[in-house]
Amino acid sequence: MPLLSVKNLHAYYRTEAYGISRTVRAVDDVSFELQKNEIYGIAGESSCGKTTLIKVISGSIKPPLRIEGGTMTYTFDGRDVDIASVAPEVMRREIRWKEISYVMQGSMSILNPVRRVRRIFRHVVDTHQGIDDKRKFEALCRDHLKKLGLPPDILQAYPHQLSGGMKQRIAIALATIFRPSLIIADEPTTALDVVVQRGVLQLLKDIQAESSNTVLLVTHDMAVHANVADRVAIMYAGTIVEEGPTEVIFGAPQHPYTQHLIASLPVIGDKGTRSALPGAPPNLASPPSGCRFHPRCPMAKEICRRVVPSMIQLDTLHRAACHLVGEREEA
Amino acid sequence: MRNFILRYLLPRLGQYLVVIFLGVTITYIIPRLSPSDPVERQVAEIMVSGAHFGPEAIAHMRDALTDMYGLRGSPIEQYLAFWARMFQGDLGPSLSRFPTPVISLIARALPWTLGLLITAVMISWVIGNILGAYASYYEKSGIMKVIDVASQAVRPIPYYIVAVIFLIVFAYFFPIFPAGGAYPVGRRIEMSIWAVQTILRHSALPALSLVTVGMGAWFIGMKSLTSNIISEDYVVYAEVTGLPQRKILYGYIMPNALLPQVTGLALNLGMIFSGALILEVVFVYPGMGMLTYQAVLANDYSLIMGIAIFSIVGVATAVLILDLIYPLFDPRVRHQ
Repeated sequence: MPLLSVKNLHAYYRTEAYGISRTVRAVDDVSFELQKNEIYGIAGESSCGKTTLIKVISGSIKPPLRIEGGTMTYTFDGRDVDIASVAPEVMRREIRWKEISYVMQGSMSILNPVRRVRRIFRHVVDTHQGIDDKRKFEALCRDHLKKLGLPPDILQAYPHQLSGGMKQRIAIALATIFRPSLIIADEPTTALDVVVQRGVLQLLKDIQAESSNTVLLVTHDMAVHANVADRVAIMYAGTIVEEGPTEVIFGAPQHPYTQHLIASLPVIGDKGTRSALPGAPPNLASPPSGCRFHPRCPMAKEICRRVVPSMIQLDTLHRAACHLVGEREEA
Repeated sequence: MRNFILRYLLPRLGQYLVVIFLGVTITYIIPRLSPSDPVERQVAEIMVSGAHFGPEAIAHMRDALTDMYGLRGSPIEQYLAFWARMFQGDLGPSLSRFPTPVISLIARALPWTLGLLITAVMISWVIGNILGAYASYYEKSGIMKVIDVASQAVRPIPYYIVAVIFLIVFAYFFPIFPAGGAYPVGRRIEMSIWAVQTILRHSALPALSLVTVGMGAWFIGMKSLTSNIISEDYVVYAEVTGLPQRKILYGYIMPNALLPQVTGLALNLGMIFSGALILEVVFVYPGMGMLTYQAVLANDYSLIMGIAIFSIVGVATAVLILDLIYPLFDPRVRHQ
């Protein structure tokens, strides 16, 4: 049983101003499954729909964002939950944080600057699981922080007294305090230097290994995926173009976009210039016809301009959406 | 703690004293630049009243007045004597109500102004800020929209126009409240329920005008502050973690949005020592504003000086207190 099964998900931003309506197709026909006990990475450049996808699957859908089609089913302890139709109050109290928690983008500034860290823990804990006894609450927090290798004294600190790496770790500690089934980490290492990054990633990995839950790791940083993820999906312009085990994605990428992405990474010992992909990502308000990547694809053919490529299963875990890959498979 | 006193409190107190010293010195110098001689003017006034004095009596009077006004000796000597008298609480005699001392005129007016203005400022601050935060956080609420429009409409109206409107409506068309004064003429103020009631009834309209306009200002300020705070990461995060809206509003948005408003409140409270001039005139309210008005009309320099000194000390003290208690609201400025 997968933890989350997403089928043909469409989520658009619909806005209307002065009678002109605009539709931004930020997530367009996305299907994937999250297994229990894995780290699943989603990679892609800025504005490819990563954050929108997270918003939708974590159930924080607010207008103008709307789900236009598709299903998202979670399985928590044998209970199936359709995240799009959960009552907001149930969502807020029972699913948020207890089942699905979130390490937000920009975790540096998620802590209320005028309150001690303890108060923030207190609020989160109180919302989902009332602990009236102050000592029990204190013990819970201290235990949890100790387990993550953080000094329990940080509860006493104000956010401005902590370093960026420490704040990021607190964000992770907050997200894991109830041992949720799914931890969504949106760019958890983006503002950190590599040394701190390593520590934060190791922490995420350790937590996942210890409580065998699922981590959905979203970042544009391919090196992070290579280090941490079990499986990686590559997003381009609102769709998943390729998905596979990390070694396969980095070792034998099939989709031209993935190939370019991997080829742009530096390799130790190789002094050659890295090639960059020409052009810019398309405007999701009016995406290109056919394959959305065709205007930038050096191998584009006539069919790419007209027909949207379908997902081709290359292996049990490896799939890609490209006409060229399809032709090769048929041949 | 020792560190705090030596490196923060003492320098801050020093700064406070310097500000007061400079302010008072400037207030001392300005009237002295005026070409008119208060002693000669007072003598002329007494002469005009028709009484006849011999030259000796006039010389004697001149002498006494020069002493009283602190005008004897060189400017430096006068200045030092001025400070010496200040420390004894002596601001000299009022010129227009000679020989009542300035200090006792101020002492009579100050409680009225403080009572009215502190109450009005606090009420409008509290209500304006709560409503402002609500209006911004619950944008779609109908009541909030009405309050928003009303505040925008009231805000640009000068408070004395509001005062006149209230006066016409509630004292003339519907005579619910007295039209002016702070207590009935000719009655002594004593501690009784009747006195409290009367004073409250008399100050209701002035307070209402101040609250109406003041609240609008705090409301608009708080609304825009809140709308900035709402998009801060820590508020978005609190929403994502599923905190109830009330907790987000009172625990996350207000404590952060209120920081500049606390500064504003302190400055406002400091300003009240000079009174609400036009309002007090409209309502014939015997406070500092009324006193200032009369002093200006009567060219009463020593009284104007006394009021100015009180304002300087008031603002400086308010800012000092604010600086000392601000770390309670914002831990980021706490002295390490």
